[in-house]
Amino acid sequence: MNETARAVWERRPQRVTRIVDAHAHAGPYSLFFIPEADPAAMIRVMDRCGVAHAVFSSHLSIQLDAAAGNAATAAIVAEAPDRFTGYLTVNPWQDPVAELERWGGDRRFGGIKIHPDLHEYPLDGSRYGPVWEFAALTGCPVLTHTFAGSPYNDIPTLDAVAERHPEATILAGHSGVTPLGLDQAIEVAERRPRVILEVCGSHNSGADIARMVARVGPDRVVYGSDFPFIDLRMSLGRVLFSDLTDNDRAAVLGGTISGLLEWR
Amino acid sequence: MAETRPSLLDADAMLGRHPRRDVGGGTVRELLAALDRVGIAEAVVAGMTAWLHDPRLGNAQVLDLVADQPRLHPCWVMLPGGCDELGPGFVQEAVAGGVRAVRAFPRDHGYRLDGVEAAEVLRALARARLPLLVDAPQADWASIESIAAAHPELRIVVGSAGYRMLRQIAGVLDRRPNVYLGTADLSSHCGLEWLVARYGAGRIVFGTGQPYRDPAEAVTRLLWSELGDPDVAAIGRGIL
Repeated sequence: MNETARAVWERRPQRVTRIVDAHAHAGPYSLFFIPEADPAAMIRVMDRCGVAHAVFSSHLSIQLDAAAGNAATAAIVAEAPDRFTGYLTVNPWQDPVAELERWGGDRRFGGIKIHPDLHEYPLDGSRYGPVWEFAALTGCPVLTHTFAGSPYNDIPTLDAVAERHPEATILAGHSGVTPLGLDQAIEVAERRPRVILEVCGSHNSGADIARMVARVGPDRVVYGSDFPFIDLRMSLGRVLFSDLTDNDRAAVLGGTISGLLEWR
Repeated sequence: MAETRPSLLDADAMLGRHPRRDVGGGTVRELLAALDRVGIAEAVVAGMTAWLHDPRLGNAQVLDLVADQPRLHPCWVMLPGGCDELGPGFVQEAVAGGVRAVRAFPRDHGYRLDGVEAAEVLRALARARLPLLVDAPQADWASIESIAAAHPELRIVVGSAGYRMLRQIAGVLDRRPNVYLGTADLSSHCGLEWLVARYGAGRIVFGTGQPYRDPAEAVTRLLWSELGDPDVAAIGRGIL
């Protein structure tokens, strides 16, 4: 058992490596009850496990109002800049250019978040044009929701966007979610060198993550949890107990995303 | 720390291949290796064959597969009584075979868990003190509450609750003390702690959902929870 897994069994926070959660949110979400969705509880859970930092978009920003939600994200980062970095949410129906102009130069944001499924707008739609332009110009990574079979953000659409915008760094959120989606996402990442596989979701496994690393390398795979949408420990456990070398595990848990955030 | 390690009994495991996901061969050897990888002591296992092909054959197979495996305990899959597929002595045979629990797949097997045809089997399970395991996607919560009310001695463990169901779960756990939750994919943020605070650790049963699910999820969620060691140990032991 590796040292991070040993920390789980000894019920103490891990101190082996700097864990950075590349896919988080914050705040309430109307579709279901989240017992403690506030940033203070998030930090408490992070401390429980030894997670140093999380990159997040507020639930308000993705679910209802990008402008108000991005302001909420910025305020949360301002309160705990050592623990959080924000994703700037771009909703294609809510003035993408205005959001990029307002927050694009703000160091509290380290990436852009888009959620085609929630916004019922295709990943390859023209309203996302300013996002790809900004990403290509600056190196700012873009985290997109993906889901196999979705009419808005399935993996073939991700492939087409990555081909069309080869300068953009795209984090494939959930890597397609389903077993088929995971396979397709790996194949796209093999073809598109700036596609990064992010591993949270309800169907991933440590074996899948080890397969991702074997196929595309640890510098192309990042740990994310989706918390507090889903509990942070579900995805984290898969990585901790997976059959990875210590160096590869450290890269997936935080090294790779930390490098991607250094674009300013 | 070794003397304080909780002993985990996985109440939600299966043997066999899965037709829609690469879970390996689903052999006893692979399951034991998976238990060792994450530190689980024992498992109660049903057969994929019983779930996804032929319950009668799968139930018989699982007895053979675990017969010489002290860490593995058999779980059978029930069917409603209407077509007499598993025979009138199903529950007595389960007890005689050392079966620790019975699973139901009403959605996949095409019957109502709260229907008349299932009621006789559920009554027999309650009399035999055999817990019923059912995954949340297999039956709506109204059906689960209905059978819990109709069979108050039957312990019902609902697994695979996901992260979207606390609004439905809470009322049923409030009203029906014989309903329990399994930890496989029990994935609401801080939900485990919230549930234990409201209902006690005795209502939560450790399970992983392997091999479809990675058992590391449930192990990490429980051991890295904010619960005290006695609660973790109680959940790890479960009710099976």
